Amino acid sequence: MKVSLNWLQDHLDIKGHPVSEIAETLTFAGVEVEDIAESGRNLEKVVVARVLSSDPHPDADRLSICQVDDGSGAPRQIVCGAKNYRVGDKVPLALPGAVLGENFKIKKGKLRGQTSEGMMCSPGELGLPGDDDGLLILSTEAAEGTPLAELFPPDTSLDLEITPNRPDLLSYRGIAREISALTDKPLLSPDSTRIPEVTATPAPADQVKITAGGHCPFYSARRIGGISVKPSPQWLQDKLNAAGLRPINNVVDITNYVLLETGQPLHAFDAARIDGGLLVRLARPGEKFLALDGEEHSLGDEDVVIADRKKALALGGVMGGEDSGVTAATRDIVLESAYFTPPCIRRTSRRHNLSSDSSYRFERGVNPAGVLEASSLATRLIVEIAGGTPEAETLAAGELPANPGDVELHEEKARALLGVDLEGTVMHEILARLGLEKKGGDNGQPVSKWHIPSHRLDLLRHIDLVEEIARVYGLEKIPATTAASIAELGADDHDYDADARLRARLCNLGFFETKTIKLISESQMEDQFITLDPGAGQVRLKNPLSDEHAILRPSLLPPLLEVARRNLHQGASSLRFFEMGTVFQTSPKEDTPCEEQYLALLMGGETAVASWHDARPRETDFFDLRGVIEALLPGKILTFERVDGGSLILEVAVSLDGAGLGRAGQLPPARARAMDASFPIFVAELRLDLFYAALREPLQFEELDRFPAMTRDIAMEVPADLPNATLNRFFEGREEPLLVDARLFDVFFDESGKKLSADKKSLAYSLTYRDKESTLTAETVDEAHAKILDALVKDLPVQVR
Amino acid sequence: MLEELEAIQTEALAEIAHIADSPSLEQFRVDFLGKKGRLTAASTRMRDLPKEEKPLVGKKLNEARQAITAAIDQKGADFAAAADSEAAAGVDVTLPGVPLPAGNAHPLTQSLDRIVQALRHMGFALASGPEIETEWHCFDALNTPKDHPARNEKDTYFFEDGTLLRAHTSTVQIRVMESTPSIPLRIIAPGSAFRRDEIDATHLNQFTQIEGLYVDRRVTLADLKGTLEFLFRHIFGENTQVRFRPHFFPFTEPSFEIDIKLQIAGKEDKWIEIAGCGMVDPAVFEAVSRTRGDDLFDPDKVTGYAFGMGVERLAMIMWGIPDIRLLIENDARFLRQFG
Repeated sequence: MKVSLNWLQDHLDIKGHPVSEIAETLTFAGVEVEDIAESGRNLEKVVVARVLSSDPHPDADRLSICQVDDGSGAPRQIVCGAKNYRVGDKVPLALPGAVLGENFKIKKGKLRGQTSEGMMCSPGELGLPGDDDGLLILSTEAAEGTPLAELFPPDTSLDLEITPNRPDLLSYRGIAREISALTDKPLLSPDSTRIPEVTATPAPADQVKITAGGHCPFYSARRIGGISVKPSPQWLQDKLNAAGLRPINNVVDITNYVLLETGQPLHAFDAARIDGGLLVRLARPGEKFLALDGEEHSLGDEDVVIADRKKALALGGVMGGEDSGVTAATRDIVLESAYFTPPCIRRTSRRHNLSSDSSYRFERGVNPAGVLEASSLATRLIVEIAGGTPEAETLAAGELPANPGDVELHEEKARALLGVDLEGTVMHEILARLGLEKKGGDNGQPVSKWHIPSHRLDLLRHIDLVEEIARVYGLEKIPATTAASIAELGADDHDYDADARLRARLCNLGFFETKTIKLISESQMEDQFITLDPGAGQVRLKNPLSDEHAILRPSLLPPLLEVARRNLHQGASSLRFFEMGTVFQTSPKEDTPCEEQYLALLMGGETAVASWHDARPRETDFFDLRGVIEALLPGKILTFERVDGGSLILEVAVSLDGAGLGRAGQLPPARARAMDASFPIFVAELRLDLFYAALREPLQFEELDRFPAMTRDIAMEVPADLPNATLNRFFEGREEPLLVDARLFDVFFDESGKKLSADKKSLAYSLTYRDKESTLTAETVDEAHAKILDALVKDLPVQVR
Repeated sequence: MLEELEAIQTEALAEIAHIADSPSLEQFRVDFLGKKGRLTAASTRMRDLPKEEKPLVGKKLNEARQAITAAIDQKGADFAAAADSEAAAGVDVTLPGVPLPAGNAHPLTQSLDRIVQALRHMGFALASGPEIETEWHCFDALNTPKDHPARNEKDTYFFEDGTLLRAHTSTVQIRVMESTPSIPLRIIAPGSAFRRDEIDATHLNQFTQIEGLYVDRRVTLADLKGTLEFLFRHIFGENTQVRFRPHFFPFTEPSFEIDIKLQIAGKEDKWIEIAGCGMVDPAVFEAVSRTRGDDLFDPDKVTGYAFGMGVERLAMIMWGIPDIRLLIENDARFLRQFG
């Protein structure tokens, strides 16, 4: 809420008080001052002007050429780009020589060839509050040539963030009350804010009747006859201008003024437009209502309307109707002041996407005690300003919500929660300053009972009183302690640490970690090259904001491919990315979404950074990916088995001790080309829970070898399609105790068949022999090696060379 | 004989001074110490000497051999050293180093980890909860009114079955309070939260939050203040000014927003909002107690504090990142700045 200090001055003597001090006081009491704006400081050479004519600019569609009366007697030509004014409107005119804003000098000049002797201004251009989408339209009362500074005296506006629990601060009275409580400054009560005695009598049912009591428990109406609708007096216009509201006419201005002054929304009907009495009822499903903003709304039976015998006149608590409002022709009015229940207004406002100063206050809760007071204040002002005679009594239907009960303060509990040894008297003083009254009055009791004023309906529980004490006392004065008890480590700690270890390994291998949005588009679903759980269903949002983010990712690959595409377009010659995070699928059995943690890898392009040292580094291949995966679990034996029918080419299932860890392979080249990759791209997606389990296994030191090893190499020719895994299994299956390792160190093909038949490949293995207890002799090793060679040629289609 | 040996030694040592390269040195060694070398030849004549002269001549012979050998070794070492330094002198050390592939953790991970490590240091354990949540865990249990503005399809992502993508990580507070066998409860929960927002320079529809919760028999507002002041000084520096502004959240009371004073050289100091916190509202304990069916979280017996902060915002402040979208684009040129 924007608060004008000039207006606030009605209630509190804050002259000579530094604005920054007031702002600080409010901010540290929970009413954050988001902005402080000065207005009316640079209005020299800005005057009121009346638009005499407006014609299209011959050479610019968006400009008009206006003749204006600036009070000098001679018309002045202004070229203008705004559209929101009509001929006859009065607007601010900056004359040549005026300086707006920081340093914007107004000069006589030409715009597209047409002379312009000044500039007509918007509120923003003048540093004034108000909508900035067009010229500031001034009251018709303002005389041409009047310096604008007379209409807009210098003022300071505080932009306050009012939290939803404090609707009592949505008015000048409320803000003044709060500052008074925080600073001990006395509240003033000048004439303009004086509220006459409040009187109301029960309304006859044919005058005012409520059938929607759940939505509107109380409704009052006061008829004022014989008024004359005209522009408001200057003081009232000043008030509205200061609040950034445009003056309209005296009656509407008074209802707006009283709303800002007291926080109670009012509405004035043209009595001539009411057919019979007023009925507060639920709308009929599909009932049409034309609001005064010109929009037609189709209502439902959760909306409350103020209706006459025939039709809805107002959407209760939200907006008046186009046809029943006050106009220049209005003679008699009916002034509404009511209490609408917050949830009802909140729902109506949201359902129709219709928000007003009125709905904003009702949906947060107005002060029940202020409903009739506001009506009374407005009636007094209307009579004073617009003339007319009010009916003796305000007619009222229904009951105002009762004040909630008293609230107890337990001093010991308050101290225990705050962690500060605060005297009971200090707590009591704070509550009393906020307008709470202690019941009983026997001092010195550790438990006291407090009456809550009707404007503080947010204070319902003990904790609410403690909050008030904390807020006003100030956290600054509360000591900073760090008492704590020790928490036990759980699985989440281990997983977090395991993530960190895997991340560090991948980063050391040259990978960048990515973080992507977990929502993807329908078309990205085609990038799900790895199906983690065949038969699982998609997890689709009911209300996506855009097609781009409609489905929760069932795999980390789609967003990771987008990362690859982006980096390729930036000219990346090497891609090494990984992401760890949640994937979402509905389980085929239960149809409820499950969330699992996965790791995805993506790599391709140069394996080293090209440099003068190595101008053409080798290109990444499948075995680089496999090497990375193996490096993640050193000491563990992973198996890689070819999968047929996967979406990747070279797709393999990776498993650890028989459990499926995930999939790896090469992205179909067509997909890689589609993102302009000039090299193959390799991807893998692996479940993290198995990594977590593996990384939790305790490590055990192994004795270092004390005796030297001996190696013997085997060169062999085998059929070209013999998988290396067959040889691995052969060597692993040997029961030769001296054999400790068999390592492949060369693979040779000759497609031309010259050196080696094309259906063969040549493999070279290096076998390591070691005895833990003694130094081996060549004879012993030769003997063991010979046995292995014998078995090799016997068991496998191998020719040893 | 002695004179002859003396002369050979003197001649050799004089000659070696003039030797300029390794091959000449080798020739020199052959000339003097080789099988047909002069010293060797001299030694063969030893046998013709009278017996009594032999020990003296033998000693001299050894001396000469050692002196010449030492000179050759020294010269050889000099040549090797010269060759080494000549080889090194030829290297242009101004050539660039061999670039190694280097990756690094995402800046979000790094800033989150700084917070996590500080809080673990203060004895908080990690906790987690599902991202797809029930409305009860996300709103009801957190004392959010039925028609709260955040609680609708305009602001929160929903699924057909009524579940939703959690709008904050505060859901984890409820999850751990539901399941813990005992208190004290002292947890932090980093994770994603989702809001139905258009993505622009300051908004994402998915962001990272970290939530903290401490519940025990006598947890105080003073503890909350001390803990968070420690945290922000740990992250932003020992002299960071931290202030607590009263605020409103449905699930804490009293509630505060936390500002830190941002000091950047050449810019005016500025208070910026960085986190929200407060004492757990008794209504939250009551909601948890109803589902648990026991009195572990009886609001008359326990108190607690909770806090939460957005990690993207923290990362942007920490490193001066102007546009939040940079954090989800994963452009390697951006990522490698945090290596």
